[in-house]
Amino acid sequence: MANSDKNKLSRRHFLKAGAAAGAFSGISVPLQAAAAKDTAEDKANELPFAIRKLLNAATLPKADGARVVIVGGGWSGLTMAKYLKIHNPAFDVVLIDKRPEFISFPASNSWLANQVNLDFLTHSYIDAARTHDYYFLNTTVLGFDREVKKVFTSNGFINYDYMVLAPGIEYDYSRIGVDDPADQARLYNNYPGGFVNSSELITIKRKLNTFKGGTFVLNVPNGEYRCTAAPYERACMAAAIFKQRRIKAKILLLDMNADIRIKKQGFEKAFSSLYGDYISYLPSSEISQIDIDEKTVSTDFDDYTFDDAIIYPPVRASSLLEDAGIANMKTAQKIANTDPYKYHVIGDEYVYVTGDSRSQPFSKGGHTANSEAQYVAEVIAAHALGKEARWRSPQTMCFSAVDINPLQAMSIITFYKFNKQSKEFEFDRTHMMEDWNSEGGQASLAWAEGMYRDMFYR
Amino acid sequence: MKSAIQYAVFVLLCLTIPNTQAVEKITIKLDFIPNIEDGQTTYGVCARCHLPEAWGNDDGTYPQLAGQHVNVLMKQLLDIRNGTRHSSLMFPFVQSRTVGGYQELSNVVAYISTLPMNPDHSRGPWQKGSEQFEQGKEIYQKHCAACHGDNGEGNNELVYPRLQGQHFQYMNQQIMRIKNGVRQVHPAMQAVVSELEPEQLEQAINYASYFAVPKEDMASSKTWRNPDFN
Repeated sequence: MANSDKNKLSRRHFLKAGAAAGAFSGISVPLQAAAAKDTAEDKANELPFAIRKLLNAATLPKADGARVVIVGGGWSGLTMAKYLKIHNPAFDVVLIDKRPEFISFPASNSWLANQVNLDFLTHSYIDAARTHDYYFLNTTVLGFDREVKKVFTSNGFINYDYMVLAPGIEYDYSRIGVDDPADQARLYNNYPGGFVNSSELITIKRKLNTFKGGTFVLNVPNGEYRCTAAPYERACMAAAIFKQRRIKAKILLLDMNADIRIKKQGFEKAFSSLYGDYISYLPSSEISQIDIDEKTVSTDFDDYTFDDAIIYPPVRASSLLEDAGIANMKTAQKIANTDPYKYHVIGDEYVYVTGDSRSQPFSKGGHTANSEAQYVAEVIAAHALGKEARWRSPQTMCFSAVDINPLQAMSIITFYKFNKQSKEFEFDRTHMMEDWNSEGGQASLAWAEGMYRDMFYR
Repeated sequence: MKSAIQYAVFVLLCLTIPNTQAVEKITIKLDFIPNIEDGQTTYGVCARCHLPEAWGNDDGTYPQLAGQHVNVLMKQLLDIRNGTRHSSLMFPFVQSRTVGGYQELSNVVAYISTLPMNPDHSRGPWQKGSEQFEQGKEIYQKHCAACHGDNGEGNNELVYPRLQGQHFQYMNQQIMRIKNGVRQVHPAMQAVVSELEPEQLEQAINYASYFAVPKEDMASSKTWRNPDFN
């Protein structure tokens, strides 16, 4: 969830205090004068226990090679950890995530519609770390200090040689006219978007499978949101559930964009041929306000009253980047200023930003993150040897479930290239397969399973 | 002509006899007559990544399948299926729950063999006349040609892969996997790869990437799209 300005301030202050106290206890910055030591230590001892605890080193085996700390165990971080060890087994890799287990968002729309079970989506960080010979630390990253190369976590600090930031996205409720943090919290609690935290998915599944009928609002955010096809796919899966349950329900799909963003022909055909009685697609529906008490969504054109809803706000890069002062707050996504080919923060070749919080405009999603991380792992391994890796494009393989029992899906695969004139990335080759069928459905599950195997098993 | 193709699938069963350490090997030979139409349907699973044309990708992530010998394709499918050839991503695609049994594998392999090849596959960095090209030629002719053929045509009967038309990066990646012991291959191939230095292997592969694909095997243009899926 988006932070209020107050929260951000207090978090920054805290980190400053943390870094300073780190110096007091002699961890990082050499002391100015020995005479100051006692007073400094006394001062440090006056800090509340909870804060002093953070100033100790996190419990980890001693690094037996250059330590690479990866912040975020999503598709990018998991792939990064594995391939760093493949490209340089001497790296001491630590993967950090605040979630104790992994629940996949890709393929989760098929799970909402009961086409796979939760076991299919759920995987263990312990399995991944053991299989690929790295450490997993189940803790929350609070911030980092690039000068002394430390990551601060709720378990204490970790010294790094390289750091990879793959913390993903956060919702930006302010872009749908919900600015008050209390309202944001209420909106999140009642109508979670289902793209950040797995509890949101569980809530959504229950909602769709117990909905009694009436109007169900879904929306497509604007900007570079996570998983371009997913909101349209989710509308199909929600409609398939309602159709199967034979309830009288209308899905209002409020698209904040002027048109369907991806697989347009396929989704248009699905909306009309399969779900004509269930889905009303409303393009150019910029959400300007949401009244939680009245259950009303307002756009520039109209107000829509609903019985239940899934509100997917526009997204931004994790506020971890902002807190660390490396985010460019003028960009809509609040992304860091990084090298477009090598992914490191400009001026710091020991800190990399990948995955959905990356600065490049590649489609946010699992396959992009996986293929990108395989490449960036090569970049980091090469850097450690004083070499350079040859750039290659990430790939975006994207399946969309359209119908169920049996599961039917369509797909797209795309690559990127850098346009030297415009100095921007653009699509290189895009291959669409918009005729959905059960072969596509089978392929979508095999794809997900293959990716889980890559990240967690062998 | 295609309907006359039969595939031999060897199934190795290991039976552990209770109370003894003895393991008996049982070899079963099965023949299948492929059905190309059914193969097209099954290829709908593969085409999501390999694309309708099966032409592969210049960054080495997907090989060109079009034009490859049927026995070579079948061997790869079976090797990946039983884990002999490791591929996390491909593994679930070749399991029976996804593509079906031996009959379906035979069908899909036969279907792929009907596809015309990519007229613009990616080649290595050293063109004809360069020192590396000529060195690669020498290495290829000495170490590779006996099995893979003077022009990289391979051999279906003996299950030697056709190299003509294969993407440079794909071959390069695979040879390094073999070199590093990640991919297990025929001992003869393994021996050659162990013997040669990485630079020599790259040069040989560079040379192989320039083999001309017979015109009759190629699609009319690089913009050709497989009408079965478009």
